[in-house]
Amino acid sequence: MEPELAVALPAAGAACATALRPRPRLALGLGALLGAGGVAAVILSAPGAASDLLGVTLSLSAPSRSMLIVAAGALAFVVILAPQNAERSTLLRWGLAGLAGMAAIAVAPTLDVSVMVLLALVLLQVAGQGRRPYARRLRAPALAVALLGLALLFARMPGPPALQKLGAVGLVAGLAAALGTLPYMHEFDPDEPTSTSPIPWIAFVGPLLAVVVLTRARELLPSAGGALGAMLIGLGLINIVWGCVASWRTELGAAAWRYSFTADWGLALCGFGLGVSEGQAGALLILYSILLGRLPLYLWSRQPLREKIQTDRPINLLVAAALAGSAPFAGFPARILVLRGATALYWPLALVIAATLLLWVPSSLRLGRTMGMPTGRQLAGIAVALALSVALGLYPQPLLSLAGQ
Amino acid sequence: MTEAAAFAAWLGGAIIVLADGRRGLALGLALMAASLAVATFMAGQQVGAAALLAGGIVGSALRYRSGPEGWGLMQPGSTPRIILTIVIGLLSLYLALSISTGDGGALRFAALASIALTSARLLQGADRAAALTAASALALALGAASAIAPAASLSACVAAGIVAAGASTLSVIEPSGA
Repeated sequence: MEPELAVALPAAGAACATALRPRPRLALGLGALLGAGGVAAVILSAPGAASDLLGVTLSLSAPSRSMLIVAAGALAFVVILAPQNAERSTLLRWGLAGLAGMAAIAVAPTLDVSVMVLLALVLLQVAGQGRRPYARRLRAPALAVALLGLALLFARMPGPPALQKLGAVGLVAGLAAALGTLPYMHEFDPDEPTSTSPIPWIAFVGPLLAVVVLTRARELLPSAGGALGAMLIGLGLINIVWGCVASWRTELGAAAWRYSFTADWGLALCGFGLGVSEGQAGALLILYSILLGRLPLYLWSRQPLREKIQTDRPINLLVAAALAGSAPFAGFPARILVLRGATALYWPLALVIAATLLLWVPSSLRLGRTMGMPTGRQLAGIAVALALSVALGLYPQPLLSLAGQ
Repeated sequence: MTEAAAFAAWLGGAIIVLADGRRGLALGLALMAASLAVATFMAGQQVGAAALLAGGIVGSALRYRSGPEGWGLMQPGSTPRIILTIVIGLLSLYLALSISTGDGGALRFAALASIALTSARLLQGADRAAALTAASALALALGAASAIAPAASLSACVAAGIVAAGASTLSVIEPSGA
């Protein structure tokens, strides 16, 4: 019954935290307890083992399970060392709701149900109070749901192979629209609260959604696997170049962070598109580093960004090195794995990817400066994020084994 | 019977695209739910059809109780929307019956036209009531589309019914300060 509990307990935690909003400490305690129960259910579940308790067959694949565990770790990390101006109970409430949705997407018996859960998550997120008008917040994620739905329909239609290829186009386009990468970048307001902004899609829900969609896509579109991989690689390269250059050149610091997520996603899409085990492992490592590194660092950069504080101290340079994927941080083995996968598939592609890796340097130096002069919880959080990145960079195998790699 | 249901599904989607008032939106959702349920039933998915119908009826009843007053059908300036509904209908017909082959053409047309019409409504930048109605209808259309692969459809239809009814319970009032 672990898959059922993995969804129900975080959902109950989010509901409790919402109901107890006037009493933040109680909301935090109860939410954390139920959330921890949900994570325990995920950890105790056996990958691939089916549960039929509710009359619906639910199961959790190894990559989805690992992504859920890392996402829960990232949420706990961000709530414990929350930025000074962020209310912990609010962070936990939104995070648990997202985690419940992610667990439901992961355990769903079919991709159709996963897409339905995604639609429910979209509606819940836009129901919150954001700075952008409702219709504009809804547009991009709703387009993602529609494109994924059309892709599933085309994939099942009997007829010529072109229909399967149309299905592959829909899946890649839908995934890009859900994440908010090119060519469907979500509208971004730097002053909007993170919970109602596009950041949760690209940095929290997105990694698990991509793993679920791409794992099931290959079963759904057996004759269009090559087209799917080629589109992922092409889109990945465009996102790397656009994300790195825009992150370096854009005026607003918060927007630069958003573009940096896009660049990381570009590399992850390339890794998934390669279709070889090294590429998949590299892509998974990139996604882990987004959850455990880039997302928390972005949250801690928001206050210095508002105060327009930029410094060039050693901690800023360390953050820049971690974001750029230099050794010994997590981005380094991820890049090596993607390059090895590209070499195995088609060596000129490895040359192109290697050339684009240099683009991360100027944008990361810029983002490192936006951390300001961290003190207190922010400094502790940055230190933990860097330590986790080093641990993942030096010895990524435990997490990769968890994902079945 | 299946062909009539497929046409009614397109008509329901077209009403959702063309309506701005709660009565029109509720009518469009109810019509689409009933016709998608019939098409799914004819495809051999009785329980799934019941789930779609229940979700759609609850959703349309809730929509009838909240949202802008009246029917709001084909208000001035809605010519582009009328053209859109016709173009989507023709394109769906071409893809479902001419490009795709085999039995079940009516269900394919109904699902394709419904997904396309409700997505178009969501992308139009409509107000909350219209957007939530379109989201409910999109969930139903996705559920009906899953009936093309019978092994996968029951859980998807049940999930579609729940999402369709749930979307209509969300508030249509914009929070102050947003």
